Amino acid sequence: MKRFSQLALPYIVWAVLMLVMPMALIAVYSIMEQGNSIIPFSFTLEHYIKFFTDPDFLLILWRSFAIAVKTTAICLLLGYPAAYFIARSSEKVQNGLILCITLPTWINMLVRTYAWIGMLSDGGMIQKFLSLVGLGDTKLLYTEGAVLLGMVYNFLPFMILQVQTALSKMDHSLLEASADLGASPAQTFRRITLPLSLPGVINGITLVFLPAVSSFFIPKLLGGGQYFLIGNMIENQFITVGEWNFGSAVSMIMAMIMMFLMMVVRKTEIRNQGGKEE
Amino acid sequence: MNNKGKRPFGKILMILMMAFFYLPILYMIIFSFNDGKSLTSFTGFSLRWYQHMLESNDMMEALYTTFSVALLATFISTAAGTIAAIGLSKSKKIVRNLMEQVNNLPMMNPEIVTAIGFMLLFITFNVQKGYITMLLAHIAFCIPYVMLSIMPKMRQLDPNLADAAMDLGATPWQALIKVIVPQITPGIISGALIAFTMSVDDFIISYFVTGGGVKNLSIIVYTMSKRVNPSINAVSTLMVVIIAAVLLIINLASMLTAKRSKKDVIARRRILPGAVTALAAAAVVCVIKFGGGSPDRPFEGQTLHLYNWGEYTGENIIGDFEEETGATVVQENFDSNEQMYIKVANGESYDILVPSDYMIQRLLEEDLLQKLDHSKLDCMDKIAEDVKGLPYDPENDYSVPYFWGTVGIVYDKNKVDIKDLEEKGYNIFLDQKYKGDVYLYDSERDSFMMALKALGYSMNTTNEQEIREAYDWLVQCVETMETEIVMDEIIDNMAQGRKALGLIYSGDATYVMDENEDMGYYLPEGGTNLWSDAMVIPKNARNPELAHAFINFASDYDGAYDNSSYVGYTSANQEVMDDIYGDGGVYEGINAYIPRTGYAQDEVFVYNEDTKKLLGDLWSRVKIAASNAD
Repeated sequence: MKRFSQLALPYIVWAVLMLVMPMALIAVYSIMEQGNSIIPFSFTLEHYIKFFTDPDFLLILWRSFAIAVKTTAICLLLGYPAAYFIARSSEKVQNGLILCITLPTWINMLVRTYAWIGMLSDGGMIQKFLSLVGLGDTKLLYTEGAVLLGMVYNFLPFMILQVQTALSKMDHSLLEASADLGASPAQTFRRITLPLSLPGVINGITLVFLPAVSSFFIPKLLGGGQYFLIGNMIENQFITVGEWNFGSAVSMIMAMIMMFLMMVVRKTEIRNQGGKEE
Repeated sequence: MNNKGKRPFGKILMILMMAFFYLPILYMIIFSFNDGKSLTSFTGFSLRWYQHMLESNDMMEALYTTFSVALLATFISTAAGTIAAIGLSKSKKIVRNLMEQVNNLPMMNPEIVTAIGFMLLFITFNVQKGYITMLLAHIAFCIPYVMLSIMPKMRQLDPNLADAAMDLGATPWQALIKVIVPQITPGIISGALIAFTMSVDDFIISYFVTGGGVKNLSIIVYTMSKRVNPSINAVSTLMVVIIAAVLLIINLASMLTAKRSKKDVIARRRILPGAVTALAAAAVVCVIKFGGGSPDRPFEGQTLHLYNWGEYTGENIIGDFEEETGATVVQENFDSNEQMYIKVANGESYDILVPSDYMIQRLLEEDLLQKLDHSKLDCMDKIAEDVKGLPYDPENDYSVPYFWGTVGIVYDKNKVDIKDLEEKGYNIFLDQKYKGDVYLYDSERDSFMMALKALGYSMNTTNEQEIREAYDWLVQCVETMETEIVMDEIIDNMAQGRKALGLIYSGDATYVMDENEDMGYYLPEGGTNLWSDAMVIPKNARNPELAHAFINFASDYDGAYDNSSYVGYTSANQEVMDDIYGDGGVYEGINAYIPRTGYAQDEVFVYNEDTKKLLGDLWSRVKIAASNAD
C-alpha cells in the first residue's frame, strides 16, 4: 500500500517550484527597495508602511471586501435554492439543468462580462425596459450595481454547482427517516439537509469570494475608470506604474488577509462537523 | 422525489435564472449581426463582423491559443492530479496535510496574487514569456482543483480495497487501474471539467504570464479597448454555436448508444463538448493558418512583432503587408504608453513600437531605441512637415510619425452653447449648467493638461504648487459635476449623443463627428496637447530589417490611407491627410481631423520622471474622489 505514496513525489517537487516559489518571490519583492530585479537585495518595510498609512488605499481595500461579501451573499441566496431545486429533480431534469448552468461558463468570462456592457449602457436594452415601467433614465453602467451584477453573473454557477454536488451526494433515506420520525420539513432541512450541504456551501463561498475580491476586469469593464478595487490597484502597479515592490506588498497584504479569512471559515466548518477533520 | 407540478417557486426561480444566464449571450449573438458598430442600437443585418473576425489573424490565433492551452492543461493536470492525489492519500498524514496547504495557495489566494507570483517566477528565472509559460501556469493552477475533486473520493474509498486486490494476485499497477481509478472516476471527470472551465475562462493569470504576442480570447477582449469592436461578439457567437452543435451531436449519439451505463453517458455529455469544441476550433485555425502562401517574397517565413495601441491599424494593412512580404505579423496591443514601457524596459523583444512623443523621449533617455537606417527608409518625404523634427527627436533619427492630433472638447451642438465654450474654455467642465452631462477621459496626462491649461499654466510645469492647484481643480470637477471618467466608451456614447461634453482625442472626435453630425470639436484658446505617436525600433528588436520595411509600408499612401480612414486618427502622411479631409474625402470638412498647428499655447508633452509619478498618484486620488462622489 505504501508504495503508492511514491506517486506523490514528482508532484511535491513541482508544487514547491510552481506554487511555493512564486509566493516566496512576492514576499521577497515586497520587502525590497525599489527595483525590478532581486539582486542586489536591500531590506525595507516602506511599501507596507506606505499602504497602511494612506487612507485612500485602505478605503479601496475596504470597498473590495465589501463588494465581495455582497456578491457572495447574493450568490448564496440565489444559488442555494436553485441547487436545492436541481438536486431534488429527477435525474434527467437534473442533468439537463446542470448542463444549462455549466454551458455559459464555457463561454469566456470576459466575453460574458463584455456582453453586459451593451445591455447596461445608456440607451441599452435594460434602460429602455426600465423607462417603459416608468423608472426613467436610470444610470446603470459604471455604477457599483453594475459591478455587483457582473460578479454575480460570473460567479453564481460556481456556487450552484458546488451546493448541488453536496446535496445530490446526500442519502435520501435520511430525509425519509427524519420525516418518519416526525420532523417537519423545516426541521429536516435545518437538522439534516443544511449540515450535510455545508461542505458544498463552504466550497461555493470560497469559489465566489476569492475571484470576487481580486477581480479587476469586471470593475474595469462595468465600473468604469473611476471604480477602483484592490485588484485594479495591483494591476496598475505592475502594468502601468511599474512599482513592482509596492505592488508585491499590496499582493502580500491581500494574500495574508485572505489566508486568515479562509482559515477561519475552515475552522468553522470543522467545528460544525463535530471536530472531525476528515 | 417526483413531485411534479409542485414547487412553483423553484420553477420560477430556475426560469428567471436561465433568463439571467442566457439573455446577455443572446444579446451578444444578436449584436454580432449588427451592421453598425454600436452595442446598443441595431441598425441592420450584416455579416461584416464575421468577415472581420475571419480576416483577423489575431482573433483566430487567440481562439486557437485558448482552446489548445485549455485542452493540454486539462489533460496534463488531470493525469498529474490523479496520480498525485492517489499518491498523497497513501502518504503520511503530515505530508498530506502539508501538501494540502501548498495546494491551497492558488485556490485560497486571490487569483491576481497567484498571477503575479507566476510572473515574477518566470522573470526571475529568465523564462521567455509566451505560450509555454501560459501553459505551465494553467497546469499549475489546474492541478490543485483536480486534486480537490479527487481527494474526497479517495477518502471514501475503503483503504483495504487495493490490498485486497493485491492479496488476490493483482499487481500494484492492476490494483491501481482496475480497482482504485474506476472508484474515483466521477471525481476525475469533475476535476477535468473544472480544469477545462478554469483554463478556458482564465484571464488574470494568462494576462500576467503571457508575452511575445501570445493572446487568448480574454486578453483580446481586454486589450481591445481603443474602440468598440463587434468582432468580439462574432467570435463569441462562433464559440456558442460550436458548443451547441457539439452538444446536439453528443445527445444524439448517446441516444443511439443507450446501452451504455447512465453514468458513462453523463460523464461523456459533460466532458466531450469541451474536447470536441477545442478540436473543431483547432481545425478551423489550421485551415486559416496554413492555407495558401506563395514563394519568392522578400521576408517569406519571417515574423514581425508589432506592439501597437489597440484598434490602431486599418482593416487591410496587416494582411496586405503579409501578402506582399511573406512575413507574419504578430501584433500585441497596449492601452497606455506606460504599459508598453514596462514590458519593453523588462526586456521583452518587439520589432516595432508605436509610443507617444514623451514616451519616445523617455525610451531614448534610457537608451532603449535603435537608430533608424534612413538609407532603408523611403517615406520621410511623404510625412507632413508639422509632425517632423519635434523636440523629442529633432532629426527623426529614431522615429517615424504614425498618427498625430490634439486633445479637445467634443460637444453636442444642440445642448452646448458655443458661447460658453468660447468664453470658458476648459472651465466649462466646472459649469453647473452641464452637471451630470460630462465625460472625463481616463488619462492622467490629458486630464492634468486640461486642468493646467484651464488655470493658465503650462502643461509641462514642474512647479508642484501649480500641479496641486490643478489637482484641486480636477477634484472640484469630479465632486461637483457628477462626471463620468471613461476611456473609449466615450466614442460610442458621444456618437449616440448621450452627454453634452467630453474631453477627447481629435482622432476619436473625427469618428464621433462622422457618425453624428450634431457633434462638434472645440479647441480652447488656453491651448492643448499637440501629440504624435510614432513608429520606433527598440534596441533588442529581432528583425530590424523587416521593421524598416513595415515603417515604409505603413507610411506609404495605401497603408497610411487604410489606417487613417479606418481608425479616424490623422495620418502623418501629408497626401493622405489632404485627401481624407479634402473634397470627397472620408472625413471631408471635419475640423477635428486637421490638427491645429502653429498656435503658441499648444505644447508637446515633455517627459519628467518626478512629475509623472506625482501626476500618476494624484490622478488615482482624483478617481477615488470621483467614486466617493457617486
